[in-house]
Amino acid sequence: MLARLKGKWTYFVIAALLLFLILIPFNWSLGQYTVLMIFIGLFTMVTVGLCLLLGYTGQVSLGQATFYGTGAYISAVLSKICGVNPWLAMLIAAVATGAFAYVIGYPIFRLRGNYLAVATLALGVIVYILLRQLGPGGPDGMAGIPYLSIGGFVFDTSFKRYFLVWFFCLAVLLISQNIVRSRTGRALRAIHGSEAAAESIGINVDQFKVKIFVLSAVYASLAGSLLAHQMSHISPGSFSPLVSIIIVVMAVIGGLASVWGAIFGAATVSILKYELLLGFGEWDIVIYGLILMLVMIFMPEGLFVRLRELYGRWRFRYAQRGAET
Amino acid sequence: MAIQVCTERGGNLSEPILETKSLSKAFGGLVALDKVDLAIEAGKITAIIGPNGAGKTTLFNVITGIYPASDGEVLFQGTPLKDTPPHKRAALGIARTFQNVLLFGNMTVLENIMTGQHPRSRYGFIGAALRLPKAHREEETISLNAMKYLNMVGLGTHAEQNALSLPLGQQKLLAIARALATEPQLLLLDEPGAGLNKLEKQELSDLIRRIRENRISVILVEHDMPLVMGLAEWVIVLDSGQKIAEGTAAQIQKDQRVIAAYLGEEVE
Repeated sequence: MLARLKGKWTYFVIAALLLFLILIPFNWSLGQYTVLMIFIGLFTMVTVGLCLLLGYTGQVSLGQATFYGTGAYISAVLSKICGVNPWLAMLIAAVATGAFAYVIGYPIFRLRGNYLAVATLALGVIVYILLRQLGPGGPDGMAGIPYLSIGGFVFDTSFKRYFLVWFFCLAVLLISQNIVRSRTGRALRAIHGSEAAAESIGINVDQFKVKIFVLSAVYASLAGSLLAHQMSHISPGSFSPLVSIIIVVMAVIGGLASVWGAIFGAATVSILKYELLLGFGEWDIVIYGLILMLVMIFMPEGLFVRLRELYGRWRFRYAQRGAET
Repeated sequence: MAIQVCTERGGNLSEPILETKSLSKAFGGLVALDKVDLAIEAGKITAIIGPNGAGKTTLFNVITGIYPASDGEVLFQGTPLKDTPPHKRAALGIARTFQNVLLFGNMTVLENIMTGQHPRSRYGFIGAALRLPKAHREEETISLNAMKYLNMVGLGTHAEQNALSLPLGQQKLLAIARALATEPQLLLLDEPGAGLNKLEKQELSDLIRRIRENRISVILVEHDMPLVMGLAEWVIVLDSGQKIAEGTAAQIQKDQRVIAAYLGEEVE
Protein backbone atom coordinates (compact mmCIF):
# COMPACT_ATOMS: atom_id res chain seq x y z
CA MET A 1 0.00 0.00 0.00
CA LEU A 2 2.68 2.43 1.06
CA ALA A 3 4.87 1.36 -1.82
CA ARG A 4 2.09 2.08 -4.32
CA LEU A 5 1.45 5.50 -2.88
CA LYS A 6 5.14 6.18 -3.04
CA GLY A 7 5.20 5.34 -6.76
CA LYS A 8 2.27 7.66 -7.54
CA TRP A 9 3.82 10.38 -5.45
CA THR A 10 6.94 10.26 -7.57
CA TYR A 11 5.02 10.73 -10.82
CA PHE A 12 2.94 13.49 -9.31
CA VAL A 13 6.02 15.34 -8.16
CA ILE A 14 7.78 14.97 -11.49
CA ALA A 15 4.75 16.22 -13.44
CA ALA A 16 4.19 19.17 -11.10
CA LEU A 17 7.88 19.99 -11.20
CA LEU A 18 8.03 19.98 -15.00
CA LEU A 19 4.98 22.22 -15.26
CA PHE A 20 6.41 24.60 -12.69
CA LEU A 21 9.77 24.64 -14.43
CA ILE A 22 8.24 25.45 -17.81
CA LEU A 23 6.08 28.22 -16.41
CA ILE A 24 8.69 30.11 -14.38
CA PRO A 25 10.37 32.18 -17.11
CA PHE A 26 7.02 33.10 -18.71
CA ASN A 27 5.39 34.28 -15.52
CA TRP A 28 6.06 37.98 -14.94
CA SER A 29 6.11 37.63 -11.16
CA LEU A 30 8.27 34.51 -11.10
CA GLY A 31 10.30 35.62 -14.13
CA GLN A 32 12.63 37.63 -11.91
CA TYR A 33 13.82 34.33 -10.48
CA THR A 34 14.99 32.96 -13.82
CA VAL A 35 18.65 33.56 -13.00
CA LEU A 36 18.22 32.01 -9.57
CA MET A 37 16.60 29.00 -11.23
CA ILE A 38 19.58 28.67 -13.57
CA PHE A 39 21.85 28.40 -10.55
CA ILE A 40 19.54 25.87 -8.94
CA GLY A 41 19.74 23.80 -12.13
CA LEU A 42 23.54 23.95 -12.19
CA PHE A 43 23.88 23.09 -8.51
CA THR A 44 21.38 20.26 -8.93
CA MET A 45 23.67 18.69 -11.52
CA VAL A 46 26.65 18.82 -9.16
CA THR A 47 24.57 17.65 -6.20
CA VAL A 48 23.15 14.62 -8.03
CA GLY A 49 26.70 13.45 -8.67
CA LEU A 50 27.48 13.75 -4.98
CA CYS A 51 24.24 11.94 -4.09
CA LEU A 52 25.29 8.99 -6.25
CA LEU A 53 28.74 8.98 -4.70
CA LEU A 54 27.90 9.74 -1.07
CA GLY A 55 24.28 8.70 -0.71
CA TYR A 56 24.25 5.54 -2.78
CA THR A 57 27.85 4.34 -2.71
CA GLY A 58 28.75 5.71 0.72
CA GLN A 59 31.95 7.44 -0.41
CA VAL A 60 32.52 10.94 0.93
CA SER A 61 33.75 13.69 -1.33
CA LEU A 62 34.32 17.17 0.03
CA GLY A 63 35.80 18.30 -3.25
CA GLN A 64 33.02 18.31 -5.83
CA ALA A 65 33.55 22.02 -6.54
CA THR A 66 36.96 21.02 -7.92
CA PHE A 67 35.38 19.35 -10.93
CA TYR A 68 32.82 22.14 -11.28
CA GLY A 69 35.84 24.43 -11.52
CA THR A 70 37.95 22.38 -13.91
CA GLY A 71 34.91 22.04 -16.19
CA ALA A 72 34.35 25.80 -16.19
CA TYR A 73 38.01 26.72 -16.67
CA ILE A 74 38.77 24.18 -19.39
CA SER A 75 35.66 25.27 -21.26
CA ALA A 76 36.50 28.94 -20.83
CA VAL A 77 40.15 28.69 -21.83
CA LEU A 78 39.47 26.50 -24.86
CA SER A 79 36.62 28.60 -26.22
CA LYS A 80 37.98 32.06 -25.42
CA ILE A 81 41.75 31.71 -25.84
CA CYS A 82 42.01 28.80 -28.29
CA GLY A 83 38.87 29.67 -30.22
CA VAL A 84 37.35 26.20 -29.93
CA ASN A 85 33.60 25.88 -30.50
CA PRO A 86 31.95 26.18 -27.05
CA TRP A 87 30.09 22.87 -27.44
CA LEU A 88 33.31 21.08 -28.30
CA ALA A 89 35.03 22.89 -25.43
CA MET A 90 32.32 21.62 -23.11
CA LEU A 91 32.80 18.07 -24.35
CA ILE A 92 36.58 18.24 -24.03
CA ALA A 93 36.19 19.68 -20.52
CA ALA A 94 33.92 16.80 -19.53
CA VAL A 95 36.28 14.17 -20.94
CA ALA A 96 39.35 15.81 -19.40
CA THR A 97 37.69 16.22 -16.00
CA GLY A 98 36.49 12.63 -16.13
CA ALA A 99 40.00 11.46 -16.97
CA PHE A 100 41.40 13.58 -14.13
CA ALA A 101 38.90 12.02 -11.69
CA TYR A 102 39.83 8.56 -13.00
CA VAL A 103 43.54 9.12 -12.46
CA ILE A 104 43.16 10.45 -8.92
CA GLY A 105 40.31 8.02 -8.21
CA TYR A 106 42.39 4.87 -7.84
CA PRO A 107 44.83 6.23 -5.25
CA ILE A 108 42.20 8.29 -3.42
CA PHE A 109 39.78 5.37 -2.95
CA ARG A 110 42.44 3.40 -1.14
CA LEU A 111 41.29 5.67 1.67
CA ARG A 112 38.03 5.31 3.53
CA GLY A 113 35.73 7.41 5.68
CA ASN A 114 37.34 10.44 7.28
CA TYR A 115 40.61 9.96 5.41
CA LEU A 116 38.80 10.02 2.10
CA ALA A 117 36.93 13.16 3.19
CA VAL A 118 40.18 14.93 4.08
CA ALA A 119 41.88 13.82 0.85
CA THR A 120 39.06 15.14 -1.33
CA LEU A 121 38.97 18.35 0.68
CA ALA A 122 42.71 18.74 0.12
CA LEU A 123 42.22 18.16 -3.59
CA GLY A 124 39.70 20.99 -3.61
CA VAL A 125 42.09 23.31 -1.79
CA ILE A 126 44.96 22.51 -4.15
CA VAL A 127 42.95 23.06 -7.32
CA TYR A 128 41.43 26.25 -5.90
CA ILE A 129 44.88 27.68 -5.13
CA LEU A 130 46.17 26.65 -8.56
CA LEU A 131 43.25 28.42 -10.22
CA ARG A 132 43.91 31.56 -8.17
CA GLN A 133 47.64 31.62 -8.76
CA LEU A 134 48.06 30.13 -12.22
CA GLY A 135 44.59 30.35 -13.76
CA PRO A 136 44.07 33.00 -16.44
CA GLY A 137 43.14 36.25 -14.70
CA GLY A 138 44.26 35.00 -11.30
CA PRO A 139 41.81 35.69 -8.48
CA ASP A 140 39.75 37.96 -10.76
CA GLY A 141 39.07 35.17 -13.21
CA MET A 142 38.17 35.40 -16.87
CA ALA A 143 35.62 37.47 -18.73
CA GLY A 144 34.30 37.44 -22.27
CA ILE A 145 33.73 33.70 -22.54
CA PRO A 146 31.64 33.01 -25.66
CA TYR A 147 27.99 31.98 -25.36
CA LEU A 148 26.76 28.61 -26.52
CA SER A 149 24.76 28.60 -29.74
CA ILE A 150 22.93 26.21 -32.02
CA GLY A 151 23.19 27.23 -35.67
CA GLY A 152 22.43 30.94 -35.54
CA PHE A 153 20.53 30.69 -32.26
CA VAL A 154 22.69 32.15 -29.50
CA PHE A 155 21.94 31.50 -25.84
CA ASP A 156 22.49 35.13 -24.93
CA THR A 157 19.59 35.82 -22.56
CA SER A 158 18.67 34.29 -19.22
CA PHE A 159 15.34 33.24 -20.70
CA LYS A 160 17.05 31.08 -23.35
CA ARG A 161 19.76 29.82 -21.04
CA TYR A 162 17.22 28.79 -18.47
CA PHE A 163 15.86 26.13 -20.84
CA LEU A 164 19.34 25.06 -21.88
CA VAL A 165 20.44 24.51 -18.29
CA TRP A 166 17.30 22.68 -17.26
CA PHE A 167 17.49 20.49 -20.34
CA PHE A 168 20.90 19.31 -19.18
CA CYS A 169 19.83 19.15 -15.57
CA LEU A 170 16.79 16.97 -16.26
CA ALA A 171 18.85 14.75 -18.56
CA VAL A 172 21.37 14.25 -15.76
CA LEU A 173 18.57 13.50 -13.28
CA LEU A 174 16.96 11.01 -15.62
CA ILE A 175 20.24 9.24 -16.33
CA SER A 176 20.98 9.09 -12.61
CA GLN A 177 17.54 7.73 -11.86
CA ASN A 178 18.07 5.01 -14.47
CA ILE A 179 21.44 4.11 -13.02
CA VAL A 180 20.08 3.92 -9.50
CA ARG A 181 17.36 1.50 -10.56
CA SER A 182 19.70 -0.91 -12.28
CA ARG A 183 22.27 -3.59 -11.75
CA THR A 184 24.85 -0.83 -11.43
CA GLY A 185 22.75 1.00 -8.85
CA ARG A 186 22.39 -2.15 -6.78
CA ALA A 187 26.13 -2.71 -6.94
CA LEU A 188 26.72 0.83 -5.67
CA ARG A 189 24.28 0.39 -2.79
CA ALA A 190 25.84 -2.98 -2.01
CA ILE A 191 29.21 -1.27 -1.59
CA HIS A 192 27.55 1.15 0.83
CA GLY A 193 25.94 -1.75 2.69
CA SER A 194 29.02 -3.94 3.09
CA GLU A 195 32.15 -3.94 0.97
CA ALA A 196 33.11 -7.47 2.07
CA ALA A 197 29.68 -8.82 1.13
CA ALA A 198 29.71 -6.89 -2.15
CA GLU A 199 33.03 -8.46 -3.12
CA SER A 200 31.78 -11.90 -2.10
CA ILE A 201 29.06 -11.71 -4.74
CA GLY A 202 31.37 -10.62 -7.51
CA ILE A 203 31.20 -6.82 -7.36
CA ASN A 204 34.46 -5.11 -8.27
CA VAL A 205 34.32 -2.62 -5.41
CA ASP A 206 37.34 -0.47 -6.32
CA GLN A 207 36.28 -0.17 -9.92
CA PHE A 208 32.70 0.84 -9.12
CA LYS A 209 33.90 3.49 -6.66
CA VAL A 210 36.15 5.02 -9.27
CA LYS A 211 33.51 4.85 -12.00
CA ILE A 212 30.87 6.61 -9.94
CA PHE A 213 33.46 9.19 -8.90
CA VAL A 214 34.20 9.81 -12.58
CA LEU A 215 30.49 10.14 -13.35
CA SER A 216 30.00 12.65 -10.54
CA ALA A 217 33.01 14.60 -11.84
CA VAL A 218 31.57 14.64 -15.37
CA TYR A 219 28.24 15.97 -14.06
CA ALA A 220 30.07 18.71 -12.18
CA SER A 221 32.19 19.49 -15.21
CA LEU A 222 29.13 19.88 -17.46
CA ALA A 223 27.57 22.19 -14.89
CA GLY A 224 30.82 24.18 -14.73
CA SER A 225 30.97 24.52 -18.53
CA LEU A 226 27.36 25.67 -18.65
CA LEU A 227 28.17 28.22 -15.95
CA ALA A 228 31.19 29.54 -17.87
CA HIS A 229 29.35 29.86 -21.17
CA GLN A 230 26.34 31.57 -19.72
CA MET A 231 27.88 33.94 -17.18
CA SER A 232 30.63 34.70 -19.69
CA HIS A 233 32.64 35.49 -16.57
CA ILE A 234 34.11 33.08 -14.04
CA SER A 235 36.44 33.44 -11.08
CA PRO A 236 38.06 30.93 -8.72
CA GLY A 237 35.74 32.01 -5.88
CA SER A 238 32.86 30.10 -7.48
CA PHE A 239 34.83 26.87 -7.05
CA SER A 240 36.34 27.31 -3.61
CA PRO A 241 36.37 24.53 -1.00
CA LEU A 242 33.50 26.40 0.67
CA VAL A 243 31.38 25.69 -2.40
CA SER A 244 32.20 21.99 -2.01
CA ILE A 245 30.82 22.15 1.52
CA ILE A 246 27.69 23.93 0.32
CA ILE A 247 27.19 21.14 -2.20
CA VAL A 248 27.39 18.64 0.66
CA VAL A 249 24.69 20.65 2.48
CA MET A 250 22.52 20.52 -0.64
CA ALA A 251 22.94 16.75 -0.92
CA VAL A 252 22.19 16.25 2.77
CA ILE A 253 19.04 18.38 2.68
CA GLY A 254 17.87 16.58 -0.45
CA GLY A 255 18.30 13.24 1.22
CA LEU A 256 21.53 11.60 0.24
CA ALA A 257 20.02 8.52 -1.33
CA SER A 258 17.48 10.33 -3.46
CA VAL A 259 18.02 11.54 -6.99
CA TRP A 260 15.09 13.94 -7.16
CA GLY A 261 15.84 15.23 -3.68
CA ALA A 262 18.90 16.88 -5.22
CA ILE A 263 16.67 19.54 -6.82
CA PHE A 264 15.06 20.19 -3.47
CA GLY A 265 18.41 20.46 -1.72
CA ALA A 266 19.95 22.66 -4.41
CA ALA A 267 16.85 24.89 -4.43
CA THR A 268 16.67 25.27 -0.66
CA VAL A 269 20.29 26.25 -0.28
CA SER A 270 20.34 28.44 -3.41
CA ILE A 271 17.28 30.36 -2.25
CA LEU A 272 18.93 30.86 1.12
CA LYS A 273 22.23 31.86 -0.47
CA TYR A 274 21.01 34.19 -3.19
CA GLU A 275 17.81 35.57 -1.65
CA LEU A 276 17.12 35.11 2.04
CA LEU A 277 20.62 35.32 3.49
CA LEU A 278 21.98 38.12 1.30
CA GLY A 279 22.07 40.44 4.31
CA PHE A 280 24.26 38.00 6.23
CA GLY A 281 27.22 38.44 3.90
CA GLU A 282 29.96 35.96 4.73
CA TRP A 283 28.08 34.81 7.81
CA ASP A 284 25.72 32.70 5.72
CA ILE A 285 28.11 29.75 6.12
CA VAL A 286 27.16 29.65 9.80
CA ILE A 287 23.56 29.05 8.80
CA TYR A 288 24.56 26.23 6.42
CA GLY A 289 26.63 24.65 9.16
CA LEU A 290 23.68 24.84 11.52
CA ILE A 291 21.34 23.32 8.92
CA LEU A 292 23.82 20.55 8.23
CA MET A 293 24.07 19.72 11.93
CA LEU A 294 20.35 19.82 12.56
CA VAL A 295 19.52 17.68 9.54
CA MET A 296 22.20 15.13 10.39
CA ILE A 297 21.03 14.90 14.01
CA PHE A 298 17.27 14.88 13.55
CA MET A 299 16.72 13.49 10.07
CA PRO A 300 19.86 11.75 8.83
CA GLU A 301 17.90 10.40 5.87
CA GLY A 302 17.54 13.99 4.60
CA LEU A 303 14.87 16.66 4.81
CA PHE A 304 13.35 15.83 1.43
CA VAL A 305 13.15 12.10 2.10
CA ARG A 306 11.69 12.78 5.55
CA LEU A 307 9.00 15.08 4.13
CA ARG A 308 8.16 12.49 1.47
CA GLU A 309 7.82 9.85 4.16
CA LEU A 310 5.56 12.05 6.26
CA TYR A 311 3.42 12.77 3.21
CA GLY A 312 3.22 9.04 2.43
CA ARG A 313 2.11 8.31 5.98
CA TRP A 314 -0.46 11.09 5.87
CA ARG A 315 -1.83 9.77 2.58
CA PHE A 316 -1.94 6.29 4.05
CA ARG A 317 -3.90 7.43 7.09
CA TYR A 318 -6.16 9.55 4.95
CA ALA A 319 -6.88 6.57 2.68
CA GLN A 320 -7.58 4.38 5.71
CA ARG A 321 -10.01 6.88 7.17
CA GLY A 322 -11.70 7.09 3.80
CA ALA A 323 -12.06 3.31 3.70
CA GLU A 324 -13.61 3.23 7.16
CA THR A 325 -16.43 5.70 6.45
CA MET B 1 46.87 -36.49 -0.92
CA ALA B 2 43.81 -35.91 -3.06
CA ILE B 3 43.91 -39.39 -4.51
CA GLN B 4 44.39 -40.93 -1.13
CA VAL B 5 41.32 -39.14 0.23
CA CYS B 6 39.23 -40.19 -2.71
CA THR B 7 40.17 -43.84 -2.48
CA GLU B 8 39.31 -43.76 1.20
CA ARG B 9 35.86 -42.70 0.16
CA GLY B 10 35.34 -45.71 -2.01
CA GLY B 11 37.48 -45.40 -5.11
CA ASN B 12 35.85 -42.29 -6.54
CA LEU B 13 38.64 -40.62 -8.48
CA SER B 14 36.72 -37.56 -9.67
CA GLU B 15 38.62 -34.28 -9.52
CA PRO B 16 38.09 -32.33 -6.31
CA ILE B 17 36.26 -29.01 -6.66
CA LEU B 18 38.63 -27.32 -4.26
CA GLU B 19 42.12 -28.17 -3.10
CA THR B 20 44.53 -26.46 -0.80
CA LYS B 21 48.16 -27.39 -0.90
CA SER B 22 50.31 -26.69 2.12
CA LEU B 23 48.19 -23.59 2.69
CA SER B 24 49.50 -21.30 5.42
CA LYS B 25 48.41 -17.96 6.75
CA ALA B 26 50.18 -15.99 9.44
CA PHE B 27 49.15 -12.69 10.98
CA GLY B 28 52.48 -11.35 12.17
CA GLY B 29 53.68 -14.06 14.55
CA LEU B 30 50.32 -15.75 14.87
CA VAL B 31 50.00 -18.77 12.61
CA ALA B 32 46.30 -19.10 11.79
CA LEU B 33 46.71 -21.79 9.14
CA ASP B 34 49.66 -24.16 9.14
CA LYS B 35 50.34 -26.16 5.97
CA VAL B 36 46.77 -27.27 5.46
CA ASP B 37 46.17 -29.82 2.68
CA LEU B 38 42.56 -30.28 1.71
CA ALA B 39 40.73 -31.89 -1.16
CA ILE B 40 37.03 -31.14 -1.20
CA GLU B 41 35.03 -33.57 -3.27
CA ALA B 42 32.58 -32.08 -5.74
CA GLY B 43 28.88 -32.38 -5.10
CA LYS B 44 29.21 -33.24 -1.43
CA ILE B 45 28.55 -31.52 1.87
CA THR B 46 31.83 -31.14 3.71
CA ALA B 47 32.00 -29.81 7.25
CA ILE B 48 35.00 -28.10 8.78
CA ILE B 49 34.94 -28.24 12.55
CA GLY B 50 37.33 -27.33 15.29
CA PRO B 51 37.58 -25.40 18.53
CA ASN B 52 37.46 -21.60 18.54
CA GLY B 53 40.53 -20.10 16.96
CA ALA B 54 41.27 -23.22 14.96
CA GLY B 55 41.48 -21.17 11.75
CA LYS B 56 38.17 -22.12 10.16
CA THR B 57 37.05 -18.63 9.21
CA THR B 58 40.60 -17.70 8.19
CA LEU B 59 40.50 -20.67 5.85
CA PHE B 60 37.31 -19.30 4.27
CA ASN B 61 38.85 -15.86 3.98
CA VAL B 62 41.92 -17.25 2.22
CA ILE B 63 39.81 -19.42 -0.10
CA THR B 64 37.65 -16.44 -1.09
CA GLY B 65 40.67 -14.16 -1.46
CA ILE B 66 39.93 -11.67 1.31
CA TYR B 67 43.33 -12.53 2.79
CA PRO B 68 46.26 -13.51 0.60
CA ALA B 69 47.85 -16.81 1.57
CA SER B 70 51.24 -16.55 3.30
CA ASP B 71 52.32 -19.77 1.66
CA GLY B 72 50.89 -22.64 -0.34
CA GLU B 73 48.05 -22.44 -2.78
CA VAL B 74 44.34 -22.79 -3.36
CA LEU B 75 43.11 -24.60 -6.47
CA PHE B 76 39.54 -24.27 -7.65
CA GLN B 77 38.57 -26.95 -10.17
CA GLY B 78 42.25 -27.55 -10.74
CA THR B 79 43.13 -23.89 -11.42
CA PRO B 80 45.40 -22.07 -8.96
CA LEU B 81 43.81 -18.90 -7.57
CA LYS B 82 46.99 -17.12 -6.62
CA ASP B 83 46.32 -13.49 -7.49
CA THR B 84 42.62 -13.76 -8.27
CA PRO B 85 40.78 -10.96 -6.40
CA PRO B 86 37.67 -11.87 -4.36
CA HIS B 87 35.13 -10.56 -6.89
CA LYS B 88 36.65 -12.72 -9.63
CA ARG B 89 36.57 -15.78 -7.40
CA ALA B 90 32.86 -15.16 -6.95
CA ALA B 91 32.46 -14.99 -10.71
CA LEU B 92 34.39 -18.27 -11.05
CA GLY B 93 31.81 -19.94 -8.84
CA ILE B 94 32.86 -19.62 -5.19
CA ALA B 95 30.11 -18.09 -3.05
CA ARG B 96 30.04 -17.60 0.68
CA THR B 97 28.08 -16.37 3.66
CA PHE B 98 29.48 -14.59 6.68
CA GLN B 99 29.32 -15.31 10.39
CA ASN B 100 27.93 -11.83 10.98
CA VAL B 101 25.51 -12.21 8.02
CA LEU B 102 26.40 -8.84 6.34
CA LEU B 103 23.17 -8.28 4.44
CA PHE B 104 22.69 -5.03 2.55
CA GLY B 105 20.58 -3.08 5.03
CA ASN B 106 19.81 -0.37 2.49
CA MET B 107 17.85 -2.77 0.29
CA THR B 108 14.78 -4.95 0.32
CA VAL B 109 14.95 -8.72 0.67
CA LEU B 110 14.45 -9.19 -3.07
CA GLU B 111 17.03 -6.55 -4.00
CA ASN B 112 19.60 -8.32 -1.84
CA ILE B 113 19.13 -11.45 -3.92
CA MET B 114 19.02 -9.50 -7.20
CA THR B 115 22.38 -8.01 -6.27
CA GLY B 116 23.66 -11.57 -5.95
CA GLN B 117 23.03 -11.99 -9.68
CA HIS B 118 25.76 -9.44 -10.39
CA PRO B 119 28.36 -11.85 -11.79
CA ARG B 120 25.73 -13.53 -13.99
CA SER B 121 24.71 -10.31 -15.72
CA ARG B 122 26.75 -7.94 -17.79
CA TYR B 123 25.23 -4.58 -18.60
CA GLY B 124 26.93 -1.58 -17.03
CA PHE B 125 26.69 2.17 -16.59
CA ILE B 126 25.82 3.01 -20.18
CA GLY B 127 23.22 0.29 -20.56
CA ALA B 128 21.66 1.44 -17.30
CA ALA B 129 21.84 5.18 -18.04
CA LEU B 130 20.18 4.87 -21.44
CA ARG B 131 17.90 1.94 -20.53
CA LEU B 132 19.12 -0.05 -23.50
CA PRO B 133 17.04 -3.08 -24.52
CA LYS B 134 19.90 -5.31 -23.36
CA ALA B 135 19.58 -3.85 -19.86
CA HIS B 136 15.85 -4.40 -19.89
CA ARG B 137 16.19 -8.04 -20.93
CA GLU B 138 18.85 -8.72 -18.33
CA GLU B 139 16.78 -7.07 -15.60
CA GLU B 140 13.91 -9.42 -16.40
CA THR B 141 16.15 -12.45 -16.07
CA ILE B 142 17.64 -11.08 -12.85
CA SER B 143 14.18 -10.58 -11.31
CA LEU B 144 12.99 -14.02 -12.36
CA ASN B 145 16.09 -15.74 -11.00
CA ALA B 146 15.97 -13.72 -7.79
CA MET B 147 12.35 -14.81 -7.24
CA LYS B 148 13.45 -18.40 -7.76
CA TYR B 149 16.08 -18.19 -5.01
CA LEU B 150 13.72 -16.21 -2.80
CA ASN B 151 11.17 -19.01 -2.98
CA MET B 152 13.86 -21.65 -2.60
CA VAL B 153 14.72 -20.33 0.87
CA GLY B 154 11.05 -19.78 1.68
CA LEU B 155 11.06 -16.00 1.95
CA GLY B 156 8.62 -15.42 -0.91
CA THR B 157 6.20 -13.40 1.21
CA HIS B 158 8.90 -11.01 2.44
CA ALA B 159 10.21 -9.78 -0.92
CA GLU B 160 9.53 -6.07 -0.41
CA GLN B 161 10.56 -5.89 3.24
CA ASN B 162 13.80 -4.28 4.30
CA ALA B 163 16.40 -7.01 4.68
CA LEU B 164 17.28 -6.12 8.27
CA SER B 165 13.65 -6.19 9.38
CA LEU B 166 13.76 -9.99 9.18
CA PRO B 167 14.51 -12.05 12.31
CA LEU B 168 18.02 -13.50 12.45
CA GLY B 169 16.99 -16.95 11.23
CA GLN B 170 15.47 -15.52 8.06
CA GLN B 171 18.36 -13.11 7.60
CA LYS B 172 20.67 -16.11 7.47
CA LEU B 173 18.45 -17.80 4.89
CA LEU B 174 18.47 -14.59 2.88
CA ALA B 175 22.27 -14.47 3.00
CA ILE B 176 22.32 -18.00 1.59
CA ALA B 177 19.86 -17.01 -1.13
CA ARG B 178 22.05 -14.04 -2.03
CA ALA B 179 25.07 -16.34 -2.29
CA LEU B 180 23.09 -18.86 -4.37
CA ALA B 181 22.07 -16.07 -6.73
CA THR B 182 25.69 -15.85 -7.87
CA GLU B 183 25.08 -19.36 -9.26
CA PRO B 184 28.10 -20.92 -7.59
CA GLN B 185 29.61 -24.37 -7.91
CA LEU B 186 30.94 -24.17 -4.38
CA LEU B 187 29.14 -22.59 -1.44
CA LEU B 188 30.98 -21.76 1.77
CA LEU B 189 28.71 -21.37 4.79
CA ASP B 190 30.30 -19.76 7.84
CA GLU B 191 28.39 -20.87 10.95
CA PRO B 192 24.96 -20.85 9.33
CA GLY B 193 23.39 -22.43 12.42
CA ALA B 194 24.70 -20.00 15.03
CA GLY B 195 21.92 -18.21 16.85
CA LEU B 196 19.12 -20.24 15.30
CA ASN B 197 16.46 -22.13 17.24
CA LYS B 198 15.70 -25.79 16.73
CA LEU B 199 13.02 -25.27 14.10
CA GLU B 200 15.17 -22.82 12.16
CA LYS B 201 18.05 -25.29 12.27
CA GLN B 202 15.79 -27.94 10.81
CA GLU B 203 14.84 -25.58 7.96
CA LEU B 204 18.49 -24.82 7.44
CA SER B 205 19.43 -28.52 7.17
CA ASP B 206 16.65 -29.07 4.66
CA LEU B 207 17.83 -26.10 2.63
CA ILE B 208 21.46 -27.27 2.62
CA ARG B 209 20.34 -30.71 1.40
CA ARG B 210 18.34 -29.08 -1.39
CA ILE B 211 21.38 -27.03 -2.36
CA ARG B 212 23.40 -30.22 -2.62
CA GLU B 213 20.68 -31.76 -4.78
CA ASN B 214 21.24 -28.86 -7.15
CA ARG B 215 24.81 -30.14 -7.59
CA ILE B 216 26.40 -27.37 -5.60
CA SER B 217 29.26 -28.44 -3.37
CA VAL B 218 28.91 -27.13 0.16
CA ILE B 219 31.58 -26.47 2.77
CA LEU B 220 30.20 -25.79 6.18
CA VAL B 221 31.93 -24.29 9.20
CA GLU B 222 29.75 -25.07 12.16
CA HIS B 223 29.87 -25.57 15.89
CA ASP B 224 26.53 -27.31 16.24
CA MET B 225 27.54 -30.97 16.27
CA PRO B 226 24.12 -32.56 15.71
CA LEU B 227 23.68 -30.28 12.68
CA VAL B 228 27.11 -31.19 11.33
CA MET B 229 26.78 -34.92 11.97
CA GLY B 230 23.34 -35.01 10.38
CA LEU B 231 24.45 -33.19 7.23
CA ALA B 232 28.09 -33.69 6.47
CA GLU B 233 29.29 -36.49 4.24
CA TRP B 234 32.87 -35.67 5.07
CA VAL B 235 34.23 -33.92 8.13
CA ILE B 236 37.56 -32.13 8.41
CA VAL B 237 38.87 -31.16 11.83
CA LEU B 238 41.15 -28.19 12.32
CA ASP B 239 42.95 -27.34 15.52
CA SER B 240 45.42 -24.47 15.98
CA GLY B 241 45.61 -24.00 12.23
CA GLN B 242 46.41 -27.62 11.46
CA LYS B 243 44.29 -30.37 10.01
CA ILE B 244 44.22 -33.02 12.71
CA ALA B 245 41.71 -35.45 11.24
CA GLU B 246 39.22 -36.08 8.49
CA GLY B 247 36.70 -38.74 7.73
CA THR B 248 33.03 -39.55 7.86
CA ALA B 249 31.00 -38.26 10.78
CA ALA B 250 31.14 -41.67 12.46
CA GLN B 251 34.91 -41.93 12.09
CA ILE B 252 35.46 -38.44 13.46
CA GLN B 253 33.34 -39.03 16.53
CA LYS B 254 35.63 -41.91 17.49
CA ASP B 255 38.91 -40.17 16.66
CA GLN B 256 41.11 -39.79 19.73
CA ARG B 257 42.86 -36.60 18.54
CA VAL B 258 39.53 -34.93 17.89
CA ILE B 259 38.20 -35.87 21.30
CA ALA B 260 41.40 -34.58 22.87
CA ALA B 261 41.18 -31.29 20.98
CA TYR B 262 37.61 -30.71 22.06
CA LEU B 263 37.96 -31.92 25.64
CA GLY B 264 41.19 -29.98 25.97
CA GLU B 265 39.28 -26.88 25.07
CA GLU B 266 36.60 -27.59 27.60
CA VAL B 267 39.02 -28.21 30.46
CA GLU B 268 40.49 -24.78 29.79
